[in-house]
Amino acid sequence: MPADDFCTDIANKLNTGILIIDSQYNIVLWNRYLEVHANKKPENVIGQNIFEIFPELPEKWFKRKIESVFQLKTQSFCSWEQRHHLFELPHTRPMTTDSHFMAQNCSFLPLEIKDNNEHVCILIEDVTDVCHYQSKLKKTLEELAQANRIDGLTQVFNRKHWEECLEKEFSRARRYKHGLALIMFDLDHFKLLNDTYGHLGGDIVLIETAKVISKLLRLGDLFGRYGGEEFAIILPNTDMVGALDVAERIRVAISKNIINFQETEIKVTASVGVAVITEADTRYEDLISHTDLALYDAKASGRNIVCVAKDVTAA
Amino acid sequence: MSDLNLNEDQQDCLQEIINVAMGQASDQLARYLNTFVYLKVPSIEQVSTISLLNMLNSNENSAAVVSQGFFGYEGIRGEALLMYKPKDSDRLADLLGYEPDELSVEEQIIDLSSILTTTFLNVFAKQIDNQMSYSAPRLLAGSQSAISDHLAQQSFNWDLALKVKITYQVTDYSFNCDMVLFIPESAIINIKTVIDRILEEF
Amino acid sequence: MSFSVLVCDDSNMARKQVLRSLPEHLSANAQLATNGQEAVELLRSQAFDILFLDLTMPVLDGLGVLQTLKDENITPAIFVISADIQPEMQSKVLELGAKAFLRKPVELEVLNTNLRNHGFL
Repeated sequence: MPADDFCTDIANKLNTGILIIDSQYNIVLWNRYLEVHANKKPENVIGQNIFEIFPELPEKWFKRKIESVFQLKTQSFCSWEQRHHLFELPHTRPMTTDSHFMAQNCSFLPLEIKDNNEHVCILIEDVTDVCHYQSKLKKTLEELAQANRIDGLTQVFNRKHWEECLEKEFSRARRYKHGLALIMFDLDHFKLLNDTYGHLGGDIVLIETAKVISKLLRLGDLFGRYGGEEFAIILPNTDMVGALDVAERIRVAISKNIINFQETEIKVTASVGVAVITEADTRYEDLISHTDLALYDAKASGRNIVCVAKDVTAA
Repeated sequence: MSDLNLNEDQQDCLQEIINVAMGQASDQLARYLNTFVYLKVPSIEQVSTISLLNMLNSNENSAAVVSQGFFGYEGIRGEALLMYKPKDSDRLADLLGYEPDELSVEEQIIDLSSILTTTFLNVFAKQIDNQMSYSAPRLLAGSQSAISDHLAQQSFNWDLALKVKITYQVTDYSFNCDMVLFIPESAIINIKTVIDRILEEF
Repeated sequence: MSFSVLVCDDSNMARKQVLRSLPEHLSANAQLATNGQEAVELLRSQAFDILFLDLTMPVLDGLGVLQTLKDENITPAIFVISADIQPEMQSKVLELGAKAFLRKPVELEVLNTNLRNHGFL
């Protein structure tokens, strides 16, 4: 029949691997695509067990899969997103992708032809391209998400992300009755520094200061640039004693840090405000404003000093 | 819009076809998984795009949502969404008879979803003298991303859909899964034609 | 000989399907219930010879009906007609006193064979 001839011809011209197995896992059909990609002639494959031709197949998994197709008489799938490939076949972009084997989408179809034993048809599609670009996209999206969280100049968290972190830490601290401390510091006379050394000098100071402070912090501490020359640190599970210790070390570290800029040495100091969460704080903004007030006190008391939020010292 | 609504007889007929499909699918499933599947009366309702979004958002704490498209003769087509609760996902490997380290949770969920969807729809199709084809199942939301992230970015090309919700309860594993079939506006008319043909025989 | 018949199913189509498969002398005066609770109330108030019972129903499901009838010693001949054909369900139903389990959609011949086996034809 010509229709059958057409089907055979198409099966051999399709850019899809077509493989039919019987209930004993013996191969009964093998199209040209597979002959070429697996580099095995039909006469060496037909009648052979699929696990001998493809020893890389996960036998137990594969059998359970085929079993479901036979038993439920319904098609099944295997996507590259969960399993990069089933069959170790070469692909068409060996030069321009880093994939070793062809990424595959496989379909398992039950074949019901009258007076015939049960068979399963396996279709193998090359999705190396999709896999390659999807991976690239995923990596780019991750980079983008990261860039969204980071202050471009100082490489610490930006204000938006830092506040989101504080919001989370604040509600967690309230829920579990954990301690939570906040440190905010501001570089003293920064405007003068900018006037003296130019904005380039000011930028170097911000970058170097962020670097020095990052090294002082614990893993769980969250360090962000609050704005201009003001930085802020969230210290989860920390009480006033612990927070004061960190604050003092920050103050000292900044005052001792010598920044080299165009053959001159820049020295800078910082005023530091500290507050811890109290029962009265219902919003994270409360904690920020207490810390900010302490920072203002530090500025008013002559700078290069650590001040504690007032209501806490009174308590 | 009124021609998209099912009348009482049509709704009843569809419900009964779904009942039978659900029964036979559960039987196959119970044999395959070697367990008992508890059946509840399925719900059928007309939903708008907005209420779909709301429903999916209220399922925010689902562990996973898997989508699989289906299409048959006479323009019967739609999309099946399978939704799982987080606490259930660790029982899946057990249920499917896989070794725990043999495959990822995601793969297990996709496998089970495909089995649930295709066994049900195969019986459904048989009753209306139809035959279904399926697209590969896709994980829309898992541990990595929320379903709303996925949907918020797209505009829908339909306003109304027929929503069929079926709850599978596998007793031995106290495991739950909701299967929701969405039949888009343009396919509802086709379903109605088929239902009317069946009703005529009565 | 005439028998009193109750058909209990939440689906109108399924009820019709049963009625039209029944011989005239059984279907003529058959009464209908649309859920298990309705059926139980009818069975309490009057005697029925035959109950055709669906399983998956709102309010009170088929298993609930079987249990209630057993507890209250109400004993029509019960034929369960259900889509839930899992073997475990079939044996549960028979344990609770049903005469037979018939799968949906119910077939004329199967129904008649069962009625004949139990002396209703």
